[in-house]
Amino acid sequence: MRAAAGPVRDENLTGLAEKLVSFARKCGADEAEVSLIDGLEFDVDIRKGKVEHLVEAGSRVCGIRVIKGRRTAYASSSDLAPETLCRLVRNAAKRAELASADEFAGLAPLSKKTIDPGALDLFDPSIAEIDSKTKIRLALETERIALGDKRITNSYGANFGTNEVRSVLANSNGFAGEYRQTYCELSVGLQAGETDDKVEDSWFSAKRRFRDLAPPEEVARRAVERTVRQLNPRKIRTRNVPVIFEPTQTSWLLAFLFGCVSGTAVYQKASFLAEKLGQRIGNANVTVFDDGLLPGKLGTRPFDSDGVPSQRTAVVEKGVLKNFLCNTYAARKLRLESTGNADGSGVSPNNFYLEPGTATAREIIGATKEGLLLIRTLGHGLNPVSGDISRGAFGLWIENGEVTFPVSEITISGNLGRILNGIEAVGSDLEFFSPVTGPTVKVAEMTVAGE
Amino acid sequence: MDGVVSPKSVSLSLMSPPLPLGERFGLDAADLRKVLELALSSGGDFAEIYLERRGYDFVNMEEDIIKETAESVSLGLGVRVLRGGQTGFGYTNDLAPDKVRKAALTAAAIARGKARTRSARIRPRRSAADVYRVRQPADRAGLGKKIALVREAYEAARRFDRQIVKVKATFQDSRSDIAVLNSEGLSVRDIRPMVKLVCLAISEKGGQREFGFWGGGGRVGLEYFRDVLTPRTIGEQAAHEAVLLIEAVDAPAGEMPIVLAPGHSGVLIHEAVGHLLEADFNRKKTSIFWNKLGRTVGSELVTIYDDPTIPAYRGSYNVDDEGTRPRKTLLIEKGRVCGFLQDRLSAGLMKQALTGHGRRQDFSYAPIPRMANTYIERGEHSPEEILASVDRGFYVASLSGGQVEDSGKFTFSVSLGYLIEGGRLTAPVKQATLIGTNIDVLKRIEMAGSDLEFGLQTGTCSKEGQDVPVSDGCPTLKISKMTVGGRT
Repeated sequence: MRAAAGPVRDENLTGLAEKLVSFARKCGADEAEVSLIDGLEFDVDIRKGKVEHLVEAGSRVCGIRVIKGRRTAYASSSDLAPETLCRLVRNAAKRAELASADEFAGLAPLSKKTIDPGALDLFDPSIAEIDSKTKIRLALETERIALGDKRITNSYGANFGTNEVRSVLANSNGFAGEYRQTYCELSVGLQAGETDDKVEDSWFSAKRRFRDLAPPEEVARRAVERTVRQLNPRKIRTRNVPVIFEPTQTSWLLAFLFGCVSGTAVYQKASFLAEKLGQRIGNANVTVFDDGLLPGKLGTRPFDSDGVPSQRTAVVEKGVLKNFLCNTYAARKLRLESTGNADGSGVSPNNFYLEPGTATAREIIGATKEGLLLIRTLGHGLNPVSGDISRGAFGLWIENGEVTFPVSEITISGNLGRILNGIEAVGSDLEFFSPVTGPTVKVAEMTVAGE
Repeated sequence: MDGVVSPKSVSLSLMSPPLPLGERFGLDAADLRKVLELALSSGGDFAEIYLERRGYDFVNMEEDIIKETAESVSLGLGVRVLRGGQTGFGYTNDLAPDKVRKAALTAAAIARGKARTRSARIRPRRSAADVYRVRQPADRAGLGKKIALVREAYEAARRFDRQIVKVKATFQDSRSDIAVLNSEGLSVRDIRPMVKLVCLAISEKGGQREFGFWGGGGRVGLEYFRDVLTPRTIGEQAAHEAVLLIEAVDAPAGEMPIVLAPGHSGVLIHEAVGHLLEADFNRKKTSIFWNKLGRTVGSELVTIYDDPTIPAYRGSYNVDDEGTRPRKTLLIEKGRVCGFLQDRLSAGLMKQALTGHGRRQDFSYAPIPRMANTYIERGEHSPEEILASVDRGFYVASLSGGQVEDSGKFTFSVSLGYLIEGGRLTAPVKQATLIGTNIDVLKRIEMAGSDLEFGLQTGTCSKEGQDVPVSDGCPTLKISKMTVGGRT
């Protein structure tokens, strides 16, 4: 039992953050902000029935932002010794003078609204109570079930991990807040086929509450299914066809869209959507939200790293671009309001998802005469400046509404703008398996390159 | 581009005072030996302490202003215990004795029994050579100098062409002070410098936008940006690429002959070969290469090395993160698989010699086998001959990255290419992904140029959530066919 070994619960970290903020003011800063993250990590990898790697540790990091005459300096440290922190604050106050004055720099004004972290269901005290044996057993069990399928020829191993994190933020505009969150994950990676014709895939379940985690049977079953369906792939001729994205694939497409609606990319003109606010960027099937308030979800938090309370933001509504997602800085640059998406000096998604439709994945496949069901991608190939996409791909070939054979060593290419206008169907199967997610979608046409 | 500077330069680690190990971290040798004993108290075979203190500086310019600067400090210790093929690992960023003991006990718990191994007496060792080339250490330079470098790159890109609408330039430097001590008595330290200056330029014409990227650095000092690669060149090259791409056409789609430009295209070797010759994937038999040691898998033209000892390069180090002196490692000789990149765990289990490729992102991770500077050896053809041999094909001029899986399927992303028509480069081509299976592609290497180069000294490789700096090199190469992911 390690309940007592969790992130230090009673220590006054908010008090420490506030002290550092006042110290920064004494060092000449006009404005200052201090964050403290206190985490505890447990992670076990097992493989072929044995524990291969076991890690357990606590770690902390302190982040500092100092603004002086509209000039900004940052610092961070994993060494929380008071003399180190004070030195970093003093250095930052001096270093700020070397940056340029930036009329948009500055902390977020103190919001009247506060969100009770307790209502967001982010913390599961039972995670601290799980003993190491149980954690190891869950991983062993998942792999054992998966290896029970004769088609599985090798294992990358199974993993069980937990995190408990306490986040604290204070700034000189009077903001002080903290919240705790937990996270647990069970996963397994598999191979099928012989050495020169192997296929691989994995599956996982990640939740904030231990009791919500998928059982070993389910994680193993989905990993096996995802792996063996790729056996004996063919290469196909180059052609333009409809492409159906499985939810795991919609997820990266949405992550790419996030990169293009992020306020930072927009003011840097590093997005093809930079001038499209209020305009139609997709067809009526496309509605996208960013929601930091969904109870218990992985992307939920009471406030962002600027101390701005979380909110639900319509990003795209029936194809029309409604909002860019901003931290305080990007919002000032673009003359918009912050949407509570600050993450360090940048912007990150909360729960960023595509609204589900009504069709099941089976119905979408059934209505496709010829096309590719996209199940995995390899490589990067995403360019937010132009919206262009070109990635290595693995899929299942669809003919007359049926999955016929797996395909590999192909690429898919297209452009996000054209894809958003060509979404013919949106599935009902939205799952929040990660903070950026979406259901099955069918895109009218992309180039699939093979032979 | 060549990152090697004058041999007269004095290295950082020779300039630093010869403090006893651990003392720089507030721990003395007797304490550390006790920690190792504690780590072995449950019956582990081997215990190791990794200590790290890292200082890091950052300057960023965008929107015509020096937007921000940052300084970060990272301090911590990781304890690892091996028992057969099992690893126990604990870490802490608080070096108070009780926290260090707790990390040791956490790692110890991988074994369950009585102590069987004793820790040997610790014998400090010097690294054999020094591969860092620093005359003006970045960590001792004022921030003003770094700001000047960023400004110069930024302004060079900004004024390069009227189509350049946005520029971003970033300078980063770090100094990692590490020490490794283990129960076999090894005790070694290394002080690793690193600098990097990069520039991103965005061009716009008629509502269409593209970006270009350039940069450099390595295990060098600030003199590199005067003697080897100037900020001005970095800015201009980024802008040049962005402007070229505005006029570029969509990539073709389907299988065709490929010619790879020297330098950048080393990414292909990194993905197609390097990763799958990392020992862990072969010990676990997940890599397509696991049963191919000694077997011919590629064309005679293919000879591949990984060499962590190339002076000044980004992937280089004096000792790896397990304290092993690295050596230039032959991976493939004339198409035949000759060796794997080893760390201590895999080398022990596979009964092979250490190669010095056990690396970790920082003290909070256990080491795993990684590449350092990976390259394919030069051939005999001139680049012109190679190009002339292709009637219709695709020329890869610069690459932005790649990915591989254990089956050997790999991709790499081309940021700028050209069509080859009648043995000559014609229209510039924008972003495309190429995909292939490594053993097919290695067999299809038909010509290798005499012009071996390394790519930009800016690369970072990710594996199992750990990022480490690397570099890659290759000569002009011709591959008879590969699938290009363009549009029809």
